[in-house]
Amino acid sequence: MNEMSKNENLDIQIYNFAYLDENTKRMIRRALLKALCIPGYQVPFSSREMPMPYGWGTGGIQVTSACLIPKDILKVIDQGADDTTNAVSIRKFFQKTANVAVTEKTSDASLIQTRHRIPETKLKEKQILVYQVPIPEPLRFLEPRETETRKMHALSEYGLMYVKLYEDIAKHGHIETAYAYPVKTNGNYVTDPSPIPKFDNPKMNNSPAIQLFGAGREQRIYAIPPYTNVKSLDFEDYPFEAMKANFKCSICGSSDSYLDEIIVSDDGKRSYICSDTDYCKEQTKLNSKKED
Amino acid sequence: MENYPFSENSINSSIAFRSLVNATSYPGRTFQINKLNKPSVLSNAAATILVTLCDNESNVYLSKEYNTEEVRNWLIFNTGAIISNKKNADFVIGTWKSLLPLNEFKIGVPEYPERSATLIIEETKYKKVKCNIDGPGIKNKLNIDLPNPELFIENNNLYPLGLDFYFTNDLEILSIPRSTKINIIKSEH
Repeated sequence: MNEMSKNENLDIQIYNFAYLDENTKRMIRRALLKALCIPGYQVPFSSREMPMPYGWGTGGIQVTSACLIPKDILKVIDQGADDTTNAVSIRKFFQKTANVAVTEKTSDASLIQTRHRIPETKLKEKQILVYQVPIPEPLRFLEPRETETRKMHALSEYGLMYVKLYEDIAKHGHIETAYAYPVKTNGNYVTDPSPIPKFDNPKMNNSPAIQLFGAGREQRIYAIPPYTNVKSLDFEDYPFEAMKANFKCSICGSSDSYLDEIIVSDDGKRSYICSDTDYCKEQTKLNSKKED
Repeated sequence: MENYPFSENSINSSIAFRSLVNATSYPGRTFQINKLNKPSVLSNAAATILVTLCDNESNVYLSKEYNTEEVRNWLIFNTGAIISNKKNADFVIGTWKSLLPLNEFKIGVPEYPERSATLIIEETKYKKVKCNIDGPGIKNKLNIDLPNPELFIENNNLYPLGLDFYFTNDLEILSIPRSTKINIIKSEH
């Protein structure tokens, strides 16, 4: 009410801080803390309808809303880019509802919401990385029944997942899964890393930052605390390999960042550029300094 | 208005929650909590956990020292929480001694390990044993003092089931979640 009366002369819509009401935040906050206590376990929560369609990050946005503080500096990325529709609209959403500062620089951000990438720049302690998750259950495509997958997690019965990876090898000669590559968190739960490229999987392991995952439609929250063992599933004779296109970025020349393939002419000529726009900018700056 | 726990509810609770996220993410490290309006018997840190997390779906067990009319009225008025017995409690508050034995609190079930109690341990006047902790959230092994470490070892053995602990002392909070592994440091004499 205070907020309302303070702003009654302004021609803008007034929201509770960071949009969600306090009761909803309490429910999400309880789920988040339990998720941090049980790394990789999917905590059910009563996901709210958000002012955007499912698949656009309704889970991530609820987690961000429950975590934001006025002092935060927010970064939002979609496939590594700060300037795509999803990233721009979520960033604007929190500028409007929480009045927080925003940045494109990974190292300046205190909270980063991401769709399908982990930034190339190493994350730091107390930075929070919020993932948007479409299907939080790594076993869902193998076993459609929630009652069964829940039991499988309870019993650490992950044979089916290994059979899937084995069938990949039998069919293709290698593990075909290239994104949403399953991991084992803290030696216990098999976890879906969200559809990040498997190139990013090693960054989850032993990260100093706090990793939170929100799946809005599927109503699940899970977390990977800092300094937690995150192992990509593999076999002794077919060890996990982080993969990327074997080219250089045509803007900054980086050969160790994850690349997007783009078609640049009508006859199908291809080019590769960094998927992480902030990293690409930083590298370009470094290059021009070297030339000076 | 000045009698509400927080002067600006949504802002203060968000800052309080961030401290809880940090404490839970980095077990064994101390994090700061801000002052709030609360009954004198409760520490700022313990009161903050209760008002930030509890609502009318939360069962709260108050040990004898905390089960006063003032605390009950404050908690029910500000959060709508349900005062409960040990067995059903989601949140538990008390001094270490008053909460023993721990085996009456719920530890979750294999399908739903999160349905377990969160224990808020007030005061630091317990017999301290030097321990070494390790596990998720801990970069290099940390040395901390714990009461009855064998109980924390037992709790960790139940993982992924188990209890989650917050130690509160005035404006400070420290967490020991179920995932933390405890080693007792043997004295050298």
